[in-house]
Amino acid sequence: MDVYHLGPQAFSSRLILGTGKFSSASVMLEAVKASGAELVTVALRRFNREQAGDDLFGPLSAIKGITLMPNTSGASTAAEAVRAARIARELSGSPFIKVEIHPNPQHLMPDPIETYEASRILAKEGFLVMPYIAADPVLAKRLEDVGCASVMPLGSAIGSGQGLGTADMLGIIIRESGIPVIVDAGLRSPSEAAAAMEMGCAAVLVNSAVAAAGNPVEMAAAFAGAVIAGRKAFHAGLMPQSRTAVATSPLTGFLGTNA
Amino acid sequence: MKASPEWLTAGDRDSEALAAMLAPCSAEALELETLAAESRAITLRRFGRTMSLYAPLYLSNYCSSGCEYCGFASDRTTLRRRLEPDELDRELLAMKRLGISDVLLLTGERTGQAGFDYLQRSVERAARHMQRVTVETFPMSVAEYRALADCGCTGVTIYQETYDRGRYEAIHRWGPKKDFVQRLETPARALEGGMKTVGLGVLLGLAEPVADALSLYRHVRHLGRTWWRAGLSVSFPRIRPQTGGYQPPFPVGDRFLARMIFAFRIALPDVDLVLSTRESAAFRDGMAGLAITRMSIASRTTVGGYDEPDRAEPGQFDISDDRSAEAFCAALRARNIEPVFKNWEPAYNGPSGVSLQDDVVSEAHPCP
Repeated sequence: MDVYHLGPQAFSSRLILGTGKFSSASVMLEAVKASGAELVTVALRRFNREQAGDDLFGPLSAIKGITLMPNTSGASTAAEAVRAARIARELSGSPFIKVEIHPNPQHLMPDPIETYEASRILAKEGFLVMPYIAADPVLAKRLEDVGCASVMPLGSAIGSGQGLGTADMLGIIIRESGIPVIVDAGLRSPSEAAAAMEMGCAAVLVNSAVAAAGNPVEMAAAFAGAVIAGRKAFHAGLMPQSRTAVATSPLTGFLGTNA
Repeated sequence: MKASPEWLTAGDRDSEALAAMLAPCSAEALELETLAAESRAITLRRFGRTMSLYAPLYLSNYCSSGCEYCGFASDRTTLRRRLEPDELDRELLAMKRLGISDVLLLTGERTGQAGFDYLQRSVERAARHMQRVTVETFPMSVAEYRALADCGCTGVTIYQETYDRGRYEAIHRWGPKKDFVQRLETPARALEGGMKTVGLGVLLGLAEPVADALSLYRHVRHLGRTWWRAGLSVSFPRIRPQTGGYQPPFPVGDRFLARMIFAFRIALPDVDLVLSTRESAAFRDGMAGLAITRMSIASRTTVGGYDEPDRAEPGQFDISDDRSAEAFCAALRARNIEPVFKNWEPAYNGPSGVSLQDDVVSEAHPCP
């Protein structure tokens, strides 16, 4: 069976779903089910123990076969993310933490310095650390060195739907990485998710593309199909690309085989 | 008298684009419907189908300024009072029963009865009950903002009211608020002091609205460039009937207000745009999903008012959308928008930009 590992845990679904931005918890839950995702991320700031109707964690944890990965969205420093991760582990029991540190709440770009610091500490504390980063091949290796379970480089700005704008850097990260590479953020369409999988990503994470789609549940299923197709294509091996036509009968056959 | 800063007066290409969107009569006038469609698409992409909710709590209506348009100006005969600690607790608990977890604490301009110490104690108390505490009060020093941030206050709302300096100085008849530049520099001091968010706005009706909108935009951009960690939001308060019966000299209609909000969404695609219960239920419902990402709910503009809502007292201004929290949320849901009460975590409180402390490293505990 084609699985990938995050720490000791094996996953067969290579689609990870984000749970923000949905029009209601029930639509979100239906989308999660339709996506076939086994790993789902939820922001600690959307855990609400005081008001069940406003809580995302409770209803998600009731779905069978789902592993929850809390995230630190809202943290702007390593100190805040570390605090949040500890609270999230206490509340959820999940060993996973998606480290999201974006000090600028407008463009939401991840802070490489704070992310590195928080990831280093949390990995040491035994978390399965999943850092959200810019598509920086050096940072990716540094995070691997400190014991992260994966790296999650962005395809393009979060919520932008600009697709795989960082494809060249992603290619380097994937080629060099010893841990799973998961493209997180920027994807808009299932074809882009398939393209990421064809490049050799271990998985993709989508949220806005599903939550802001005309029909989120149907779109979740579409992403599920695309991720499977992309993975199969990667496995099968794409034919090489060439700038010129390649003749079926060689043009230089007359030269014979002697040197 | 201190001169106005250059960022406020210098034009730039960005604000020219905004000016074109705000000019309904010019040759390049853009159809309101076109702006609405673009604004909606940006909002959906960046913020999804959610609305963050907060509620204001007036701590005190003591005031030392004479703002012509305000129901709490120091020459009004309004009964003055402030919430004492036990009352504050009761108010916060009543708000929590409505589901509110994000509170905006308000006071008038600085007075002996409601000065910095009083505010700091109130913030501390509120932070025990609420996930997120922000303030809309009097301008403070950097050190005072730092002290508030240490108590769990994460944001400051401070409207310039108008960027038209002449108008500003005419309407702010006396008191500390009379100083235009001192007020203009307040958001920067708040950010310097470690506040994570600042909310800006102009009080629509006081001065020519297009010029005010452009200045407001320049202020937002200036702060964003200077304080790169700053969370920015823009509110669109319109003068409402209030004690004193002030008639706005530049009344702003619904269509212009809508145009201004759409234009700000397009010009500032990732900034929170806020609309309070000053506006009608119909206008708020209509704007949800088109541009606005943050709204107040079940608001009171009297001192307190959540614990004993029937107590009749004049507020700072009259509320237009007086629906209950439940009725308002039902209206959002009917528009396919999820009301979000908790969108913050106290783990993220504390002054902005303070990086990893040694104590965090040393207290690291291994997995059980």
